[in-house]
Amino acid sequence: MSRNLILGLSAAVLTAGLAAPALADAGDTIKTIVDRGTLRCTGHNGSYLGFAEVDDAGKWTGFDIEFCKALATAILGSPESLQIIPVSWAQRFPALQSGDIDVIIKVTGWTMSRDTELGLQFSRPYFIGPTNILTRTELGAETAADLEGGVFCINAGTSIERIVADYMGARGIQYEALNFEKAEELRSALYGGRCDALAGFGPFLAATRFNAPNPDDFVIMDEVLALEPEAIATRQGDDNFVDVINWMVSGLLMAEENGITQANVDEIRANPPSASVERLLGVSPGMGDRLGLSNDWVYNVIKAVGNYGEIYERTVGQDSPYKLPRGKNHLWSDGGLLYSLVLD
Amino acid sequence: MAVALAPPATDDNLMAWARRRLFSTWLDGLITVAFGALMIWAVARIVDWGVLDAVWTVAEKDRCREVDGACWSVIGARGRLILFGLYPHDEHWRSTLACIAIILTMGFSCIPKFWGLRRLPALWVAGFAIFILLMYGGILGLPVVRTEQWGGLSLTVFIFAAVVVIGMPLAVVLALARRSPLPVISGVANVIINFVRSLPLLAILFTAAVVVPFVVPDWAQGDKLVRVTLAFALFFACYQAEIIRAGLQAIPSGQEEAASALGMKYWSRVFDIMLPQAFRNSLPSTINQFVITFKETSIVTIIGFFEIMASGNAAVGTGEWVSQFVEVYVFVGAIYFAFVFGLSRYGAYLERRARLTHG
Repeated sequence: MSRNLILGLSAAVLTAGLAAPALADAGDTIKTIVDRGTLRCTGHNGSYLGFAEVDDAGKWTGFDIEFCKALATAILGSPESLQIIPVSWAQRFPALQSGDIDVIIKVTGWTMSRDTELGLQFSRPYFIGPTNILTRTELGAETAADLEGGVFCINAGTSIERIVADYMGARGIQYEALNFEKAEELRSALYGGRCDALAGFGPFLAATRFNAPNPDDFVIMDEVLALEPEAIATRQGDDNFVDVINWMVSGLLMAEENGITQANVDEIRANPPSASVERLLGVSPGMGDRLGLSNDWVYNVIKAVGNYGEIYERTVGQDSPYKLPRGKNHLWSDGGLLYSLVLD
Repeated sequence: MAVALAPPATDDNLMAWARRRLFSTWLDGLITVAFGALMIWAVARIVDWGVLDAVWTVAEKDRCREVDGACWSVIGARGRLILFGLYPHDEHWRSTLACIAIILTMGFSCIPKFWGLRRLPALWVAGFAIFILLMYGGILGLPVVRTEQWGGLSLTVFIFAAVVVIGMPLAVVLALARRSPLPVISGVANVIINFVRSLPLLAILFTAAVVVPFVVPDWAQGDKLVRVTLAFALFFACYQAEIIRAGLQAIPSGQEEAASALGMKYWSRVFDIMLPQAFRNSLPSTINQFVITFKETSIVTIIGFFEIMASGNAAVGTGEWVSQFVEVYVFVGAIYFAFVFGLSRYGAYLERRARLTHG
């Protein structure tokens, strides 16, 4: 199934849907969640490597799933009160608008058309998705320019096609594109030596490299062709819910900045090193009552899923099979683009 | 005087048979040798890959990178995910029993003894009641499992069975309505059939799953799985109606006229004279439609249901097993094959039976 067809279909459905009067009330999503006792969050129809996967026992795991858990814990106090609803890419926006799910946490880029025309409200980005190039180690290429005249394998019908064309066009680098419909075909072509390089979403490249017959034959270049900020999407017009999500992301980052981990959170809570950590973990009020949550919600979240860095390393980073370098997803103090908001 | 011809050669031994059938001319011999070699090569490659060079157990999975053959460890590690989808791990026995219940129901309804206007519906109501009771739970101390968590083989089989069971009577009604002499009735049936047939199945299912919640008030929406199954059944019915109509048209019009002349009422003419023959006439196309429907159940993955193809994709969608997609596809393919092959054998049996009883 081509991504274009799905997108077109979902756009058509959405147009039909938006014209109809029965849009789910954006109203008070948190109240709906609390009344229901569960948060309905996005899964995947199958699995999306590293972000939403199903383990051997049929349980959801992955980077996005951890954020769903964090949000469920923030609002309801326990990661157990999370319902993962499997939805396809095409289905995610209509499913949110119809109230089938409360929130989209599904590697969803914050784009202008989604923000304005689809009636979505985005949180601050929680993941910076890079488009990178994977190449054969033996070619010794350091930058895209070194791959002049080479064959690029690209997933047909995706935004990657456009990103590569723009990037290489702007730099006047000639290349030959070889398009494939399915990820499996793309991988076989690469392993079989039909292409010199594979351009794609960073996490996908990491998985491709990990699964190569010999992973050392391939290397992911540092060069970033494009960045896509992935954000959490909600229905337009529920400011308080967006506030909670923004501070949830911020709380995870603040915990990492302050060295608070799943393992030491109890200890730090018992002896908070500073007034802001005291407030963050709910020893003193301020973090919860101003959002309509319990004051110790960040403590509960850290206890349940750990801080941002821990989530990252466990699901897509060094402790996962993918070993995706953190790159731009480091804290600003480590050379990345992530920072927490100011807790005053 | 006529020359007496020798009787046709009989294949009294294997050599004679082979000489006559496979090597009668040098060209035949060449083709036999070439294709024979090709077959042996292909079979050898498959056996090599699937059996001799394969890694079988989960414990040995680290060897998968080294060998050229299949890595069946993936089935051992992820098999339950493929077969049960997102169904809670501790409740898999329920899904197994439910799946067996629906397969038995399908099996029983293939036996001519159960064909009857009372027996067949009773059988299906019982079969579906057991299935839903086991899968959904909520009574007898079984925890509730919401339909979003249903998955794997039992979901595939359930969707197929429900679509056929709901779609078949609907198809009969549509086919009869389309032949009705009353223009309003035939017109309505005509519009429904042509409208539904001109839409892709994907669009219909997407509408049922995603658009309906926008236009229908909450209390009337029902469960997503129910909506999707009903929409699928409607789609099936529109195709099947045309197949049945073809079967009806193959019956000489004199039969119905003769029945009318004998004073038989409409329903009696339909159920005793027309439909039995129509079903027999349309048997090959009906089996064809069943097979297509079984395979098309995999489309529900696009609206987030974890039928067996989606759970197969989920099974390979983790870092550890990404390379084993061929093995998983072979496994899922074998399951599809078992069902579809069973269906075609059953169709062949029905055709033999129809010939025997109505020579």
